[in-house]
Amino acid sequence: MSPGLSSARRLAQERRTAIRRRTHHIRRWVAALAVALFLCAFAVVYVQMASGHDPALTASSHRNATTTGSAARSEATSTSSEASSSAEEEEFGEEGSSEAGPSAVTTSQS
Amino acid sequence: MLLATATVPHLFWITSRAAGIAGLVLASLSVAAGLLLGGRLLSAHRSELRAAHEALSLATLAALVVHGLTLLGDAYLHPSLADLAIPFLSGYETLWTSAGIVAFWMLLVLGLSYYARARIGVQRWRRLHRFAALAWALGLVHSLGEGTDAGETWFLACVAIAAAPAILLLLGRLRDSSAPARIGAVQ
Repeated sequence: MSPGLSSARRLAQERRTAIRRRTHHIRRWVAALAVALFLCAFAVVYVQMASGHDPALTASSHRNATTTGSAARSEATSTSSEASSSAEEEEFGEEGSSEAGPSAVTTSQS
Repeated sequence: MLLATATVPHLFWITSRAAGIAGLVLASLSVAAGLLLGGRLLSAHRSELRAAHEALSLATLAALVVHGLTLLGDAYLHPSLADLAIPFLSGYETLWTSAGIVAFWMLLVLGLSYYARARIGVQRWRRLHRFAALAWALGLVHSLGEGTDAGETWFLACVAIAAAPAILLLLGRLRDSSAPARIGAVQ
């Protein structure tokens, strides 16, 4: 084997090793980036939820507050129907809703 | 302690959301790397770009698997495996969910087909692989249409920063590929 050929082979081998090393380095870097991205997103969503600013939970708690308010309203209406006429029932129902509303909202915010 | 207790029932959901966000960012970076790989820009760093594109694609698939599988533990949605794997089966936000499912299967098939490109035929595989950009766009639509955080500024900023380079490169590629046809039409 001529010295020129062996040095060319060595050069090619070194180049292949360098490419393999760089590829390995890139893979590790991407894996670290993926983990960091996941942890970062997890932390943001977690803190958002824990602080009561989660978009889905805020929307659903508002819906629950409205439902609870309506339930309290209908309950108040049925209780009052035993003692009052139907016209008075409606009036009391309106009062019941104004009382039940804030308490439900307070619950959802706490 | 109270804060931690409040979030414990939603841990699967939080994990799924975080994995979805990570998957979207990784997919955007992967599409950008793939488009750079096919273009003349950065042609001197082709081997590094190929390694980055491959690693980013595999990381995207891993994140998307976590995104889907953790939803199985979600107490609110409580989906079945079929709901998560078969498009138009889930009753929850059917259209957006199906867009995500189709995007995932497309990315999985088009991504993993790289390892069978010799059998498929390199030219045919290249033509097929172009649809990966379409799958990524579907994923983007899924996240913006159904994503819990889609209305949040931080999420939109994150998506915009990650997707902008890929969108610009994609538009550049489409312009380049349509240019000869236009010249031909004029002649």
